[in-house]
Amino acid sequence: MAQGKVLLAGMGEIVVAWGKGVVGCIGLGSCVGTLLFDPRTHAVALAHVMLPEASEHDAFQQPGKYATTAVPALLRVLDVPPAFASRLRAILIGGGELFKNRSQTLRIGERNVETLHRLLRELRIPVVYEQTRGNSGRSFEFDVETGYLQVRAVGSAPIEQNLATVLGIVRKAS
Amino acid sequence: MHALLNELRADALREIGNIGLGGAVTALSDLTGVLFALEAPQVVPVDTRQVPQLVGVEPESLVVGTISRITGDWPGEGAFLFPWESACVLWQVLVQMQPNGLEDLNELYQSVINEVSNIMLGNYLRAISQMTGFHLNMEPPAFAADMAAAVLSAIVVEAMYGQRELLAIETRFKTPAHAFSGYFFYLPETGSLERLFQVLGI
Repeated sequence: MAQGKVLLAGMGEIVVAWGKGVVGCIGLGSCVGTLLFDPRTHAVALAHVMLPEASEHDAFQQPGKYATTAVPALLRVLDVPPAFASRLRAILIGGGELFKNRSQTLRIGERNVETLHRLLRELRIPVVYEQTRGNSGRSFEFDVETGYLQVRAVGSAPIEQNLATVLGIVRKAS
Repeated sequence: MHALLNELRADALREIGNIGLGGAVTALSDLTGVLFALEAPQVVPVDTRQVPQLVGVEPESLVVGTISRITGDWPGEGAFLFPWESACVLWQVLVQMQPNGLEDLNELYQSVINEVSNIMLGNYLRAISQMTGFHLNMEPPAFAADMAAAVLSAIVVEAMYGQRELLAIETRFKTPAHAFSGYFFYLPETGSLERLFQVLGI
């Protein structure tokens, strides 16, 4: 899809693109790629969230690691105060449970997705697209300029979505 | 160097990896009739940002893997990873057939990989028990077949749950007779490392 380089968020990382560029994650298992798009500035911030809740002090060093610290951090990098968060649009990818018959399963993927939904609901940020849960790992790329999203999984063709309309991307007359 | 490690401690962990997996690979050789060889174990702090590159396979290539929780005196997670082509070697050797792609990966094929993991991890833990006097138990392996980076990240997340840092004792095993490589990871709970070093007197 993309010309040029994809700005990848590794586990626990946050990346941001202003107006143009492609962001993405490789190999999401139970992790959730959490994208917040700002229709006003055409910026997108992406966190590769690993775990639902921050209980450790490294949350300050790596806010993207936990859902509870990643969402506020995404608002900060987009420079959007919580009071104006409802203008943002969210996309969630990942949160699968890859291992079958895990006897004492932690259900981390499911809990990541639940926690992110709760946090986004509290900020009144609508989730305009998600491909979450299930049993498969996923990679994705998102083009901030066009709103074009590609999600890849093993054993099936890539799923391609044009999210320009739901994200409120207005095409400039050229 | 990792906060928990100095050179001596890293050496001790490598040696434990060697002894433990030496027995495990012998068990695999006995089971398959194929001679497997170990590479020297590596002890590496896990940098979560680098997880897709943790083993030298394409991040989106198909792999099969297992994870087993280990409980007792040295708790952690034990995980095996096989590139698809290597898993096919195991299936061919052990059941004389192989699945025709991911959709064909039925219970039989999964149980073969689970059993290989079971036998190898059981031997690994037995060797460590004998060396340290530790009491160790393992839960049955859980199975996954998916893109390498996703399986690795799921393993790391499970092991990292509730702890801040993560150490991987990684061992690669190969066989010259087939295009095969397997990877074993032991991801101990970092809190349990001190106990191990105490027993070893270092």
